[in-house]
Amino acid sequence: MPAIEVRELTKFYGSKAALKDVSLAVEAGEFFGLFGPNGAGKTTLIKVLTGQLVPTRGHVTVLDIDAAREPLAVKEVIGIVPEVESPPSYLTAYEYLYFVSQVRKVPDGEPRIARWLEYFDLEDQRRTICKDLSKGTRQKLMLAAAFLHEPKVLFLDEPFINLDPIYQRKVKDHLAEYVDGGGTVFMCSHLLEIAEKLCDRVAILHEGHVIAQGSLADVRGRERDLESAFLKLVGHAP
Amino acid sequence: MHTSYTSRHMFLAFPVLVMLLSFASAATSRNYLQVTPLPQMLLVVHISVFLYGVSVGAFGFLGRQYQERATGYRNYLVTQPSLLPMSFKRTFLGMYVRDAVFYLVLILVPMTAGLFLSIPFSGFRATSILLLFGAALITFLAGMSLSFFMSTLYVRSVPVFAGLAVALAVVFVAVGALRIVPANVLLPGLAVQYAVPPIAPLGTDALVSVLVGVGLILLLVGGAVALVSDQYEPKNSDARDELPGIERRLARFRRYRTLLAKELLDLKRSGTPVKMFFSFVTPLVFLSFTVWFVRNGLNLPIGFNTVFYAAMVGFFGISLYNWLNNVDNMDYMSTLPLTVPQIIRVKLVAYLLLTLGISAAFVVSISWMNNDVRLLWLALPVMVVTSLYSVVMTAYLTGLRTNSFLFDPGVLFAFSALSMLPDVGLAILSFTIDADLAFAVTGIALTLGALSLGTLILYRGIDRKWARAAFGE
Repeated sequence: MPAIEVRELTKFYGSKAALKDVSLAVEAGEFFGLFGPNGAGKTTLIKVLTGQLVPTRGHVTVLDIDAAREPLAVKEVIGIVPEVESPPSYLTAYEYLYFVSQVRKVPDGEPRIARWLEYFDLEDQRRTICKDLSKGTRQKLMLAAAFLHEPKVLFLDEPFINLDPIYQRKVKDHLAEYVDGGGTVFMCSHLLEIAEKLCDRVAILHEGHVIAQGSLADVRGRERDLESAFLKLVGHAP
Repeated sequence: MHTSYTSRHMFLAFPVLVMLLSFASAATSRNYLQVTPLPQMLLVVHISVFLYGVSVGAFGFLGRQYQERATGYRNYLVTQPSLLPMSFKRTFLGMYVRDAVFYLVLILVPMTAGLFLSIPFSGFRATSILLLFGAALITFLAGMSLSFFMSTLYVRSVPVFAGLAVALAVVFVAVGALRIVPANVLLPGLAVQYAVPPIAPLGTDALVSVLVGVGLILLLVGGAVALVSDQYEPKNSDARDELPGIERRLARFRRYRTLLAKELLDLKRSGTPVKMFFSFVTPLVFLSFTVWFVRNGLNLPIGFNTVFYAAMVGFFGISLYNWLNNVDNMDYMSTLPLTVPQIIRVKLVAYLLLTLGISAAFVVSISWMNNDVRLLWLALPVMVVTSLYSVVMTAYLTGLRTNSFLFDPGVLFAFSALSMLPDVGLAILSFTIDADLAFAVTGIALTLGALSLGTLILYRGIDRKWARAAFGE
């Protein structure tokens, strides 16, 4: 059973189709990368997969849970890092993680909060109100919030944006460990070099269609790297 | 930008609705002009327009609030000077002009068009209508400019703001309650109307009033723009970890305790209660003034009693629910196992915790001031039931986007019908208490029963209506 399965998914915003007959599957323990130009439909796909948007047509399951019918059940077992880092403005960094642990009913919340505050070196800023944190720190907080309950599947929309190289490295290391431990990652990113090092399989979305998917080698084909393959596939090869 | 509130066609229908209301009021004006002298009718119109201007002009609060708030997926015009070669002063002036034009087109122009359409029925003269339009515009801009000035002053210096607010309150009390200062001294548009026929012969007073009015507006806007800061330096504000403690104190709310604790903490740290207090008190002051005016200005023998106030207070709380929805962005909630109906319910509980005490205190105080405590046993249930009904009805119709959806004429129509009909019914029944207590109490009890049932139905409907709604805009 795939951890994530999408069959003939179509999503319209009014009369505009953001996704057209998208089908893909991600196995448990796989690091899956989704790439595409701006406006290709990547964020829409993540939102449908995580129960934030209802598909117009098609079938979406995460860990065998129908994301369209049971969005809450899906959100309980997954972690999400959204495209824009927007923690609550008026909670402190610690309070936000405490809030997430309570909403998710994490049994040993305090030690986990302490662990992630330490992991991201946020202890000095644990009492700073989120609106006063830098973008990078907010992004670290969103990552910590997504990792806190040790979900079986992670959906990450541009997780490395705003992170400095130190924390990009730390997050990469953690994600590699997480996948080695059986976790599944579904990631959207424009940072193809990072993605190339992390992903087992990838898909390229263009104008709402999946135009390529498979292992890195499959998608790269005869091109020297993923970036060249990507540019060629979306019609922007030099 | 404002069309994003609703569909383009529905948005354009709003001025049509205003025009029809204006037409209907004007076409039937012969009836009430027989009992209400024209100067007093104009006074009520100008006070309403002035307060409306005050309610929409507080741009000064926007700067720091939107600069500092984590705004999620949205981008605001007010934040652009941080990114583009624009000054905050010009941006705020631009926002003032934009909203002045917006409300002119949305409210005042359709209102005037409705008056023109009513000419065959009302007999109004075109020149009188144009004069009312011009005078109302001056009054509206005076209110908006005062609000703009006061809000920018608040951002610069809270003590100076507080001092000036007290001074203004004294002046307005002098106008309203003590009649030491004539109202037309404070309302420049009204002064214009009091200086022309049929109230006074046409002379230089009218021109002077126009110049004074325009000068006052320019002075307030100029002062506000001068006070706008061109830099909003973020404060690095640390806070104690209060959430767990508040959550523990709210243990009785069980599964909602965490969300409710966060809601209350948001309110505390965002400074929203001050704004909420003023938006609750302003209509109460206006109501008190209207009652005073009807009693002492018009000498009409209408029995305004504690039950009437209780019904009004219940319905006035609606604006507070809107504030609760505007404290912070909610985008992050979409990453958690939470639904929009859950958050709506939390906001309803927060609303009740915040308002019931204040509303009860107001009703008790007004009954004591009017020597009318005999009706408290009836007034307090009226206040509680109407408060619950109003906020649940608003939540059902508008979800977490009250401010946006109330610009949708379809929602506005339903909202008006569902709020005004029971409100007017309770007001009329309250007037009959002294004539026939048994009839009044029976009628009020039946109305409260119907409202309670309506509250229950709408509350249950929130789940069905908003279950699949997304967080954020």
